[in-house]
Amino acid sequence: MRKRLIAAVAGLATIVLPAANAVAGTAKTIVTTKRVTGPQAVAGPFGYVEVILVVKKTARIVGTHTTVTRKITNVLVPIFPNHTSRSIFINQQAVPLLTNEVLTMTKFNPNIELVGGATATSYAFAQSLQAAILHAKKI
Amino acid sequence: MHRVEHVMGMPIVVAVRDGDVPDAVFDWFRHVDATFSTFKADSEISRLRRGELARADASNEVQRVLARCDELRKETAGFFDIDAVDGDPSGYVKGWSVDEAAAILDRAGFEEYGINAGGDIRTRGRWTIGIQHPLEPQEIAQVVEGDDLAVATSGAYERGDHVRDPHTDEAPSGVLSVTITGPDLGTADAYATAAFAMGGRGAPGWTARLRGYEAMTILSDGRVLSTPHFPSA
Repeated sequence: MRKRLIAAVAGLATIVLPAANAVAGTAKTIVTTKRVTGPQAVAGPFGYVEVILVVKKTARIVGTHTTVTRKITNVLVPIFPNHTSRSIFINQQAVPLLTNEVLTMTKFNPNIELVGGATATSYAFAQSLQAAILHAKKI
Repeated sequence: MHRVEHVMGMPIVVAVRDGDVPDAVFDWFRHVDATFSTFKADSEISRLRRGELARADASNEVQRVLARCDELRKETAGFFDIDAVDGDPSGYVKGWSVDEAAAILDRAGFEEYGINAGGDIRTRGRWTIGIQHPLEPQEIAQVVEGDDLAVATSGAYERGDHVRDPHTDEAPSGVLSVTITGPDLGTADAYATAAFAMGGRGAPGWTARLRGYEAMTILSDGRVLSTPHFPSA
């Protein structure tokens, strides 16, 4: 069902209007990306299915003529991962395999040289644990 | 010794146990910035996004990166999707560029090094790595230890709420951070971004089914769910 739906919408892949104009001169191109959400449809025993199309619109302006191309760059089916009985079943099988702990602050381990997940901006870096470790010339 | 430089909009730390960090590593990161930056109007990625350069005419390097991003979208059920951010591949480029920098150090004969690019890490040899606490930036939530690791973390605290579920365009809920470890940092980073975007309900189950990569998901209720072989110290 899902495959059929995707095939149906993917058939609309490219719409070009109007025909390209060959006038010479400076060209300007504007690219925009838009999401189009389709209606919900019943997909057998799995419940509802919804399709989102990501449409990339390219407007090429040469003089007074504009050529618009619309292309479907992605088809998303936002039913993952808990919306179908099958995916819920798979998750129920997978989750017990995980070790379950409680978030705590770990006592600082003096062997730590690298710190992951640190804030990426330079201001935050200057104040970070990673910067302090480097400043102490541990490496 | 170590060197820190700000390239690609973030601090990059390169540390080696023996010898000096070669210039070639930072020359490479500057080349990546010039090619892939969305902040530089003349970069190949900026020209692609404006429609001035066709993908087929882009350099081999850019085409390989975009092809891998396409694969990662499929591997992550659409949760890592560069089309959702108007074709900006930065979420993969960071990790990939570190993997390539690691290859430069390998070829130069370094056997023990660590690279930390804005909190995403790749090591060779044995290193002890602290994973930042998602609520207390000066604290460590978990210590990771292992040989030859890639360690990527995605969380709401990185740069504001910048990760969104590409299916709904909403910030994920129920999850504070996801850390992925494995052989390849580009892949680990994309998996971490995708799992974080899935939110607290989707992320743990999805990470439990990854092959060759381990995960630690910190949920908003304070639970820490790790896959069986996550390299905790």
